[in-house]
Amino acid sequence: MIKMSEKKYSKDHEWIELNDDIVTIGITNHAQESLGDIVFVDLPEVGKTIESGGEVSVIESVKAASDIYSPVDGEITEININLNDNASLINEDAEIQGWIFKAKIIDKTQLDSLMSLSEYEDFLKQE
Amino acid sequence: LSSLSRELFLNNFHYNKKAKFISFAGYSMPINYNEGIIKENLHVRSSSGVFDVSHMGQILILASDKNIHNLEKFLPLDIKNFKNNKSYYSFILNLNGGVIDDIIISKITYNNNYYFFIVYNCSRKEEDEKIFKTHLSDYIILSENCLIAIQGHKSEQILNFLPKINHLSFMNSLTTTYQNKLIIVSRSGYTGEDGFEISIPNSVSHNFINDIMQNPNAKLCGLGSRDSLRLEAGLCLYGNELNEFTTPIEANLNWAIDKKRLNDKNLNGHKILLNQFINGSDKNKIGIKCVSKSILRNNMKLLDEKNIEIGIITSGAFSPTLKSSIGIGYIIKKMSIGQKIYTLIRNKVEELEIVKLPFILHNYKKG
Repeated sequence: MIKMSEKKYSKDHEWIELNDDIVTIGITNHAQESLGDIVFVDLPEVGKTIESGGEVSVIESVKAASDIYSPVDGEITEININLNDNASLINEDAEIQGWIFKAKIIDKTQLDSLMSLSEYEDFLKQE
Repeated sequence: LSSLSRELFLNNFHYNKKAKFISFAGYSMPINYNEGIIKENLHVRSSSGVFDVSHMGQILILASDKNIHNLEKFLPLDIKNFKNNKSYYSFILNLNGGVIDDIIISKITYNNNYYFFIVYNCSRKEEDEKIFKTHLSDYIILSENCLIAIQGHKSEQILNFLPKINHLSFMNSLTTTYQNKLIIVSRSGYTGEDGFEISIPNSVSHNFINDIMQNPNAKLCGLGSRDSLRLEAGLCLYGNELNEFTTPIEANLNWAIDKKRLNDKNLNGHKILLNQFINGSDKNKIGIKCVSKSILRNNMKLLDEKNIEIGIITSGAFSPTLKSSIGIGYIIKKMSIGQKIYTLIRNKVEELEIVKLPFILHNYKKG
């Protein structure tokens, strides 16, 4: 049986999915709901080095601009260019089609401190 | 939400309609309902939207000679010669001609007397009411009235249960009744579309908004779309384009000033305003459009081609109607429509085009 990769969640309301040494990162459905209509995503460049806690991208909603932070160290390998023409894809499908970037990571243990889905749901209740 | 926030009288109605709330000028206000700001904005342009703007200040002032004289101290209008049922956009001016608040003033008949009805900004209630108390007598602050705005070309049809209102043209007002209560109806608004603003006693406001919502064309809209609609319509927002250090002439609002009053010693700041009117001002209000998809925001600096700071964006946002990023700003340079200026967004130089205001054509019902 193939083990499905498990999604992890950050306190910045991002989801992170690991496949081999590549992470896919986006914002959670909860995050898109509180941002409201998303109109522009300032995507990073492929090849850019990223650091855990560093700013990677910016999402502009009708209301405000919000930074996207990287939960890991690594290098950007792919960006979701569909967001250039249709940033509202994040509103429609934040956790699948609305992914923002993929990165090759160095240290998988950095994911250990992230939350599981049930932990993230508890975190939302506390907020 | 802060427990210090005041709630609208119809708060529970909005809550049941799935409003998202924000704190604005001391009130908990709907920012949008479940379909979001963009859909609400587009609906007002194609049909009609309903806004609860009961946070705004409302006052009735008896049209006595003494009140007229004192109102003319701070409003640059020929108030003596107001026609009944006419509404005017105006400003409360300080001694330097700066704007303490921007308002709508109407002359109406209320309980068989002539009154001025003023709608003023929530964020300026304290300052405005201090001025009213100091200079005026025989006035009633309508703190027990809601203010409901219906905006868009379907508004007249939505309000067809109110008598007489189809005769109103834009910037005209009248008093009529709804369920035996006196209401004040103005054909005006803050979106660039045809529409009405209705001052209605709290006691019948619930029935009133339910009657409106019976019409399938009516969609509830919040402060979010109210702001993007007014920006598309090129209208000023107090605190952004207007403040005590900006005159109406610097804000390119000469059209709203009665020019005779600029020679009247009774008018606050008349010398400064007259001088700016004749010689022009150093500050100029402009409309801007961002060439890229980046979003303009309030307080971004405006730069010329040599990277020299020439001004600031006072309102910047995504325009749902134009599907691009637009703004209003001030520059200290004479420039013309079509010229390029710049701003920095996240350290990247963004090219902006100076465009004509308003961004969309006004769609008012002319008399």
